Amino acid sequence: MNVDEVKARAGPREFSPKDDLPEEYRQAATRMLEFHANSEIMGAYLERPFIRQAPSIERKMAFSAKVQDEIGHGQMLYRAAESLGVKTREEMLDDLANGDGKFLNCFHYPMESYVETPMIAFFVDGAAMRRQATLKKSSWEPYAHAMDKICFEEGMHVKHGESILRELMNGSRREQRMTQEAFEEWWPRILQFFGPTDDQSTHHDFAAEVGLKTCTNDELRNAFLNTYIPKAKKYGLEMPDEPRIRDNGDGTYEVVEDDLDWDEFFTVSQNEYDGSIEQISGRRQAQEAVQWVRDMMDDQTTTNSGPQTQAAD
Amino acid sequence: MATTESDLGGPADLSEDEQRAVEAQLLRLADDELVQAERYTFWQVRAPTLESDLSISNNAQDELGHARLWYDAVQQLGYSEESLIYESDPSDFQHSTLVELPFAEGDWADAIVRAYLYDVAEDIRLSALEDSSYEIIRNRTSRIQGEEGYHLEHAESWLDRMALDEEASERVQAAIDELYPYALTLFEPVGDVEADIDRLGIRTMTLDEMRTEWETRVESFLTELGFAVPTDAAPATPAGRDNEHTDHWHDLHEEMTASYRNLGRDEATLIMAADDE
Repeated sequence: MNVDEVKARAGPREFSPKDDLPEEYRQAATRMLEFHANSEIMGAYLERPFIRQAPSIERKMAFSAKVQDEIGHGQMLYRAAESLGVKTREEMLDDLANGDGKFLNCFHYPMESYVETPMIAFFVDGAAMRRQATLKKSSWEPYAHAMDKICFEEGMHVKHGESILRELMNGSRREQRMTQEAFEEWWPRILQFFGPTDDQSTHHDFAAEVGLKTCTNDELRNAFLNTYIPKAKKYGLEMPDEPRIRDNGDGTYEVVEDDLDWDEFFTVSQNEYDGSIEQISGRRQAQEAVQWVRDMMDDQTTTNSGPQTQAAD
Repeated sequence: MATTESDLGGPADLSEDEQRAVEAQLLRLADDELVQAERYTFWQVRAPTLESDLSISNNAQDELGHARLWYDAVQQLGYSEESLIYESDPSDFQHSTLVELPFAEGDWADAIVRAYLYDVAEDIRLSALEDSSYEIIRNRTSRIQGEEGYHLEHAESWLDRMALDEEASERVQAAIDELYPYALTLFEPVGDVEADIDRLGIRTMTLDEMRTEWETRVESFLTELGFAVPTDAAPATPAGRDNEHTDHWHDLHEEMTASYRNLGRDEATLIMAADDE
């Protein structure tokens, strides 16, 4: 198939590993899936400390389960990415460790206090849900298929985040104040989650033409704001004066782009922000520390010297 | 063996001595599971592969779930999660010091050996509780046994695999040497209450009987794989069961409870439906 044929046929779940797809399509799909998978891993890495710090056993269980789900999503998405034949999972994980792998802007910022956790688990995951729901119609069938399970679990994560937010905003004045401060710090990053407005996005056109993306950044941002501004207000959060958001009154919004720090956004997306370096290095160090285990497993696979019973995982 | 005649009934039926003995058995179960889970969660997003990450996360959540069940059983005797965990002093805890020890980043051999030594002990302990004279212990034990079986398989399967690799074997041996004396503290007594626990049939094996069975099983499995087992080791000190802990536990408890304190909380949040038995 050439690119024109792909564009002509493009539709939900249209292409699978059985199809002979042009390099350009496979590259674009790999780039999206790798970014998505990396984001799952780095999101989990960011939230991990709150398994320990969560203020009750049941909250601990929820955090542990959520972090585990994200790793499971990463696993599924790397598999869907590998099936395009461009990069192996090992190459993608190596790139993530050495700082070449890209991931969502929000996961480049340190998270130090428990009150920040719903900024990720409610707002960022809520934003991610918007995007992910549209990916069930991706033209790359393995991607769309992975999204069926992932969307279901992400729905649980958003409920978890919402429950924490509700509890904090019904808590002491101190808790409410701390949560409002966290919201003001995270809100601009959350708005940037959807990237620059469409005319500035570089990869959108091709991805849309071949059915890898089914909605524009602006459509997704509008859908998110329509749902989440009322929710934020319902829980007692005050919208910051800036960045300015104009309600067009027809279900659409305009975010005043000049109120957002796009230099920071592009520094973040190049993995060059202070937080990027901290998150990436921390995870790389943890991964290098267990390299000896992976070496052992590789040796046993190649020499077939592993135990003959059920393999350890 | 406990029979229906010697059944202790529910929380309201217990005499003062009986309650003291039931509490002592429940608290060590709860504390062991909580702190073991806490150390497991360290490995989330840090395990060698995505697959091993998912497995170790399962174990962590199982242990947290068991801790929740055991703390809930203690709460039926008039305590709260806040008083038992978040507002308590680190020296109120009675977990074995095996589960509180820290480990070096990347020391996967420690994770597996610790899990193995603990899971064998847990298997034996649960079989000594399945016919407990206290119904709540009996019921919850049977709910937990299946999951603990998987944990043991998980640890044994990793040990099988590491035994075939020279570098991994050295790391496993070092972990055995370090952790074995701490594992023995799992069988140390909590004050003078052990005789009552045995006499009342709350547990159907004495600590000595449990330790003997554990030593036999651990020695036989590890020796078979080519490891040396320090069978003449004495239990480490501090033991934990006697409320004496290493400084590592104080640090860990501080970290676990920091958010609760910083938020000025006075309640640990419940989000799951109450247990129906």
